[in-house]
Amino acid sequence: METSAAGLQLAEQVPILKTIFKHVKYSVLIACTLSMAACSPAGRSLDIPFVARWNGEPVSCSGGPVALTDLRFFVSDVRLGEGDGTPAALQNDGRWQSDRVALIDLEDGQAACRNGSPDMQPVLRLNVSGNPGPGLRFSIGVPEDLNHANPLTAEPPLNYSVMHWHWLSGYKFMRAGIETPDDGFWVHLGSTACSGTIGNIEGCRQPNRPTIHIADFDAGADAVVVDLGRLFAGIDLRDSAATRCMSGPGEDACAPVYEALGLGDAGGIAGVFRRSAR
Amino acid sequence: MNRPVIATAFIVAGLAVTWLASVSDESYHWRLPEGEPRPAVPADNPMSDSKIELGRWLFYDTRLSVNDTLACSGCHVQALAFTDGRPRAVGATGELHPRGAMSLVNVAYASRLTWANHLLDRLEDQALTPLFGEVPVEMGMAGRETEILELIRSDDRYRRLFPQAFPTDESPYSILNTVRAIASFVRNIVSFDSAYDRYLAGDAAALSPAAERGMKLFFSERLECFHCHGGFNFTDSSTHVSAIVESVGYHNNGLYNVGNEGRYPDDNTGLYDLTGIPHDMGRFRAPTLRNIAVTAPYMHDGSLPTLDAVIDHYQRGGRNVTSGPYRGDGKRNPYKSVFVREFELSASERQDLLAFLRSLTDESVLTNPAFSNPFE
Repeated sequence: METSAAGLQLAEQVPILKTIFKHVKYSVLIACTLSMAACSPAGRSLDIPFVARWNGEPVSCSGGPVALTDLRFFVSDVRLGEGDGTPAALQNDGRWQSDRVALIDLEDGQAACRNGSPDMQPVLRLNVSGNPGPGLRFSIGVPEDLNHANPLTAEPPLNYSVMHWHWLSGYKFMRAGIETPDDGFWVHLGSTACSGTIGNIEGCRQPNRPTIHIADFDAGADAVVVDLGRLFAGIDLRDSAATRCMSGPGEDACAPVYEALGLGDAGGIAGVFRRSAR
Repeated sequence: MNRPVIATAFIVAGLAVTWLASVSDESYHWRLPEGEPRPAVPADNPMSDSKIELGRWLFYDTRLSVNDTLACSGCHVQALAFTDGRPRAVGATGELHPRGAMSLVNVAYASRLTWANHLLDRLEDQALTPLFGEVPVEMGMAGRETEILELIRSDDRYRRLFPQAFPTDESPYSILNTVRAIASFVRNIVSFDSAYDRYLAGDAAALSPAAERGMKLFFSERLECFHCHGGFNFTDSSTHVSAIVESVGYHNNGLYNVGNEGRYPDDNTGLYDLTGIPHDMGRFRAPTLRNIAVTAPYMHDGSLPTLDAVIDHYQRGGRNVTSGPYRGDGKRNPYKSVFVREFELSASERQDLLAFLRSLTDESVLTNPAFSNPFE
């Protein structure tokens, strides 16, 4: 791992090496792909859809019980099956998913999502083998070892400026927001209270990386519901005050959101992420 | 290609890179008076004249903002020592920043950047926040990387300058190289030609008798100014290429004490905003005092309009806000620095101190054509 990172860094600076490195990388990739095809004939593609809800009702940028203003988040450490589950491989498409991180994008840049983008990615693409059985686990966020790397040299989807906090050296794990005719709330979730310096981050006191477990999830037939009504259950949406949470370590407005995601002292609010038949 | 060949290639290239990094930096001719330290430069972005030239165009290019209205120079105006004269900066879409634009003069020596971010020590990283930040919107380019790439790939000048600035890079048109060039230009804005510098260099007449008296007051234990604003760059958050230890300081200077509970306004809590540690409330980095006479208004939120008001504040040992939502006596802020203590100052001493502060202005850096707008 370390050798490879150093090689990349070196290759960044020396064009000839960059080419060599690229070729080596590709040949390794091809070899892996060939061996996988040869050794795991049972491997198959599995799509897990994600849908946005507000207390059970469909919600989008153009409306619903409230209007969505944003809903994008990173998913990592995906596991399928009972108990602790078995790691599921992400399909690396060079855009929405790398080997380790997937970006789910449920906003379409329309209406209340005017600061968003038209492209959406309402699906998590996995490679699985066999029948994993019921159960889905994943983390919301970017693994710690990738979270503080330079976003300008990161591979997609970690090179997207909208999902990065440049002054904190880390990603916005989740952007979620809604608006009502006279109020609204949004959250940017990510690791905070970090120490060190950018490029040499030593750790973060508040990792803010929720782990989601949907025990009865049927990967072949279910979708993952993201219910913002549950996520914002503790937010007063009629007071026109404290309209945001940016994951600041001393930011009171974040407490109900942390609670909902299981980052607080309690076990989280059931059903922020849950299953629903497709 | 077999393994030994690749390994050898890596080793040779590694040596070459190391050699290039250090030699480029050594060979760069800093325009510094004898005895002044050279700034530390990141090994992956050595200084070069062509990079500075490219960075200068980018620094003054309004096309790097969402609506083509705001360049870096919009908030960092040369004549004002690269500040903007406003209490708080204003972004491309009109959004008010919680804090004021800081001077860029000698920012190459800053051990940390911005008003209160202990994580941020490289200009290359800092440049990304005004470009892509959303809260507040500054230049407003979040999600618009492709627009920047299209600009630098299609503009005739940039098609010439990027390859010159990054000659060994087979694809020089990148956001990474954009911020590297801007950082190189900004890092090059160094200044050691104030009346005070000339005085230190042996020209006893460079300081008026009043300024000389003010200098003694500034460095006195009575006023304590130099504890936070000391050293060659008049800030304790300074470093340079031969620094033995990196000095980083953040201080609560008693500007607020909201509700007499030690708090600062919610949008400007200083280091506390990033750490959440109670004693970090209201701790901000002491800015350089070089060119301080031209960078009004003062403090992180521009809430003190003049140097006189700043002296009032420190003379009292903190500001008493007597009305409005931020009411409270900053003098009694429990997190206040021990160096901010009430002191006696006669009217003539105040004039002397002001004369010294004015002697820190370097007219040459405010007018040097090398730092000016190349589009004009």
